[in-house]
Amino acid sequence: MKLVRGFLAIGAACLAQELLSSYLPGVARRCDLYTILVVYYGLTRPQAAAMVMGTGAGLVEDSVVQAILGLNGFKKTLIGYLVGSFGSLFMLNQAIPRFGILFAATFLDPLTEIGLLAAMGKGFVFPEMLDLLQRGIGNGVIGLLVFWIAARIP
Amino acid sequence: MAIVLSERKPFLLLLVLLTLNLILMSSSVKNVERRSLLEEAVVSIASPFLKTAAWIGRGTAGTWSSYADLRGVAKENRRLHEQVDSLALQAREAEEARLELERLRDILDLRGQVDRPAAAARVIARDESGGARIVLLDRGTHDGLAPNDPVITPRGVVGRVIGAFPGTSKVQTILDPNSGVAALLQRTRAQGIVVGQGEKGCRMEYVSELSDVEVGDVVVTSGLDQIHPKGYVIGVVSAIGEGEGLTKVVEVRPEVDFQRLEEVLVLVRPPAAAGAASTEKR
Repeated sequence: MKLVRGFLAIGAACLAQELLSSYLPGVARRCDLYTILVVYYGLTRPQAAAMVMGTGAGLVEDSVVQAILGLNGFKKTLIGYLVGSFGSLFMLNQAIPRFGILFAATFLDPLTEIGLLAAMGKGFVFPEMLDLLQRGIGNGVIGLLVFWIAARIP
Repeated sequence: MAIVLSERKPFLLLLVLLTLNLILMSSSVKNVERRSLLEEAVVSIASPFLKTAAWIGRGTAGTWSSYADLRGVAKENRRLHEQVDSLALQAREAEEARLELERLRDILDLRGQVDRPAAAARVIARDESGGARIVLLDRGTHDGLAPNDPVITPRGVVGRVIGAFPGTSKVQTILDPNSGVAALLQRTRAQGIVVGQGEKGCRMEYVSELSDVEVGDVVVTSGLDQIHPKGYVIGVVSAIGEGEGLTKVVEVRPEVDFQRLEEVLVLVRPPAAAGAASTEKR
């Protein structure tokens, strides 16, 4: 049952991300629903579940929008692990710490990507700081909204 | 031993998952021509969600704006406004259909101009984070698409297919920093390689310092990369700077608006040519 819910969550994130791209491309550029999903699992489920969700969501994202399969899988797994570790050490059930975690995860995502691409000798573009800040805030706000909705799903 | 393993279980799982992803990355980077079974399976699972999203996006394009328009209207005026809104919705839908028809007509005209088989395709997903470096099309191997097929629009070059699956295919646009297109300046015939820079556009490298380059010059494909046919527009020169050694770096503004890319034309290679190109690459 948990596995089915996980699959459905990834499918819903994939569908919602593409709908956002169609309707609200400006919002889609400033939020990554796959990252939000992984952070949610990291905060509310065991660390192992967050990592598996990270790999699953990352691979689906790779298949849709990445040339290198496994790049997002790697990043999201790492995010799942770190958020899961933080979640087991600190009380992160309030809005502000959760916003902070989402914000930090948003920054970790491109930094890990740049590191991996550099290690592979592939080309990369440094993201603009303003763009990153906007994405961090977007992920934080939309993430809190998603958490609030998810807490009300039976 | 069992206690240690149990305590370190999350860390071991992390290592296993990261290793799995690294293996996938390594295999993906090595075998650009051939996509793994796992990627094919994941794309097959994800494509119904993507196609549904694209279908909803197209089908209800006018409904969202009508809803937004109607929200502030007072209740007693709603009945009168409904008729107007309905007509406006129809007009918007008709306008949307007209624009789509125009775009498709352009694609069809272009199809008539190219001297090889071509398949029209719709963009069903794109990478929004880095200026549409990768886009997903709703046509795949069933329609004859294969890796390295060039993708164009009436305005210019979009990129090339890097992964073809039964019902979808992945396109690396010319904005991707890992893409490279052999190009020349239409006016002076100076040659170079156009490399992507994400949202910043493109850059033409390896242009000789002695070449005559001016802002506004048109950059077209040279055909030397044996992927993109010769003579298709890539963009126009927007700035000129000094490169390494005896070269210039030329900033190129692509002609294609990647944020509004909806329909494209994929130039399909004849099966024999595709096979030969694939063998050459390997």
